[in-house]
Amino acid sequence: MRKFWIDTDTASDDAVAILMALQAPDVEVLGISVVAGNVPVDMGCQNAGYTVEVCEKNVPVYRGTALPLSREPSYAYFFHGPDGMGGMNYPATKTPIQTGGVEAMVNAIRKNPGEITLVTLGPLTNIANALALAPDIAKKVKICYLMAGAACTVGNVTPAAEYNVWFDPEAAYAVYHSGMKMVQVGWELCRGEANISDSEQADLRAIGTRRAKFAIDCNRQAVATNKKWLGDPSLPLPDPVTMAIALDPGIARRQGDYYVDIAYGQANTDGMTIVDERNVLQKPKTVTVVWEIDVPAWKRMLRESLL
Amino acid sequence: MRKLIIDTDPGVDDAMMILAALRAPELDVIGLTTVFGNCPVEIGTQNALRLLELEGHGDIPVSKGCSKALVVPLGEFPANVHGDDGLGNASFEAPKGKPLARHAAQFIIDTCKAFPGEVTLAPIGPLSNIGLALQLCPELPKYVREVVIMGGSCYAGGNISPVAEANIYHDPHAADMVFRADWPVVMVGLDVTQQIVMDNSFLNKLYAAQTPATDFLKRIQPLYQAFHANIYGFTAGEIHTHDPSVTAYLVKPDLFGTLETPVHVETNGRCMGFTIADPLKQWGERRAAKVCTRVNAEGVKNLLYDLLAR
Repeated sequence: MRKFWIDTDTASDDAVAILMALQAPDVEVLGISVVAGNVPVDMGCQNAGYTVEVCEKNVPVYRGTALPLSREPSYAYFFHGPDGMGGMNYPATKTPIQTGGVEAMVNAIRKNPGEITLVTLGPLTNIANALALAPDIAKKVKICYLMAGAACTVGNVTPAAEYNVWFDPEAAYAVYHSGMKMVQVGWELCRGEANISDSEQADLRAIGTRRAKFAIDCNRQAVATNKKWLGDPSLPLPDPVTMAIALDPGIARRQGDYYVDIAYGQANTDGMTIVDERNVLQKPKTVTVVWEIDVPAWKRMLRESLL
Repeated sequence: MRKLIIDTDPGVDDAMMILAALRAPELDVIGLTTVFGNCPVEIGTQNALRLLELEGHGDIPVSKGCSKALVVPLGEFPANVHGDDGLGNASFEAPKGKPLARHAAQFIIDTCKAFPGEVTLAPIGPLSNIGLALQLCPELPKYVREVVIMGGSCYAGGNISPVAEANIYHDPHAADMVFRADWPVVMVGLDVTQQIVMDNSFLNKLYAAQTPATDFLKRIQPLYQAFHANIYGFTAGEIHTHDPSVTAYLVKPDLFGTLETPVHVETNGRCMGFTIADPLKQWGERRAAKVCTRVNAEGVKNLLYDLLAR
């Protein structure tokens, strides 16, 4: 069994990503740590806990950091709904929510050196704090898949920045400079054809399992907002695409290693992921950047997780 | 007695602060936590143990903390100021004790929670451990009595850049967390510490006491004095009294005059580490810190002499 740890600001697309990992037959999710991001950390815990419940699994959910390192939080209710789950108002989770998310992540990584695949679906505050508490974990994580950034392209929350990095750019800076083995899955990989069209959503929901209905229903606000706001087709699922690559790295069809820096404290470029694609800085390469994904393979994996 | 955790990067001036605090009957030092800064955290941790053992306090726990800032990358250590060993290259023997297994930030959280409202934090290095403790435990401020930091400079210019004091500069993000949190902060910064000058005549009088503390200080001081002579053009062995001023404040706050003002920390660009006083709250609401702006310098020196020489 492969060992995963998921760090998440659980709203609607996080929920689908968590679901995919929990349903993967060869993966054991050791824990889920929640961070402030799409929604406040307590709401994220509720959503993560409820997702675990929908999957009928017994995976610990930990409350992590409630505030970014240097900024006021700026939540994404407009995109994910007032509960982060499309306004579905799911019942309070029965999954126990534990405290100490950062410490739990550190302990799990130290207990399983070289074994844990870390998947981050939210702002990088928990990871930055874990690295401050235990710098040794940078070399003990097997590999870290980041839903983060926009590689050499526009952002989705400012012209320069993708939401997860922009929410806490200082934390992202600390993580990107930590020496951990990292793969960046930017939001640009989760647009256009990678989106789930209206008819694909209908097909998936028609599978009829609790998981299938849940995955589609909780994203209804995201669909509505995405069409209005970004003018992209139907449902984008950045966190599930990232999870798909973590579960099957072959879904990343084209990727390369680069020095990647994070802008912070500079007003209009805050949270920008600066990928040195042409190696003009001649610095050591720090991050694997995914450029292209196998769209049919990603969608097949999503479907299988809902059967 | 005031329960005290000293968060330190020892450090020549840290050593004097700690030795004076251990000798002050008003203070009950219940732990030292270490952080990178004047030297690497591993070396500073050895120095913390060494100082406690020198004073016969090997029972006081030492907890090792952050090896770098929360965000900004690690720079070079100031070996020209504090020596490669953090203690003026004085070649001391290894201490006997060992630090706790727990991280400093966790030690701070656990200890403050164990004595609600009683513990004073005295950070005299970069504020990474305190910032991390606030991240891990946002309710920490309600357990803490007071935070008295050596760091910053509102009106006196900097000592590591034209505007920044070194402790704040080394982790500006953590420093801003400390000034942003809802707890009583006292800033003992360059505004006062540079007004308190110890010269050869004061130091020689101190060394003449020949206590274990003054003998130790005599060994570690020359490199620190040479640095001050180099950069400020001092000719009589003068040093600024940075960290020890925190001990003086804790024992006798009346020696200092303060300005109550919110403080913001610049975290970016060439003014990184600048502590900006905002008494008119033009940058918004933030709990006011007490920024030390005036000091009875002779009173501070006399107090430190009395503590170290007795």
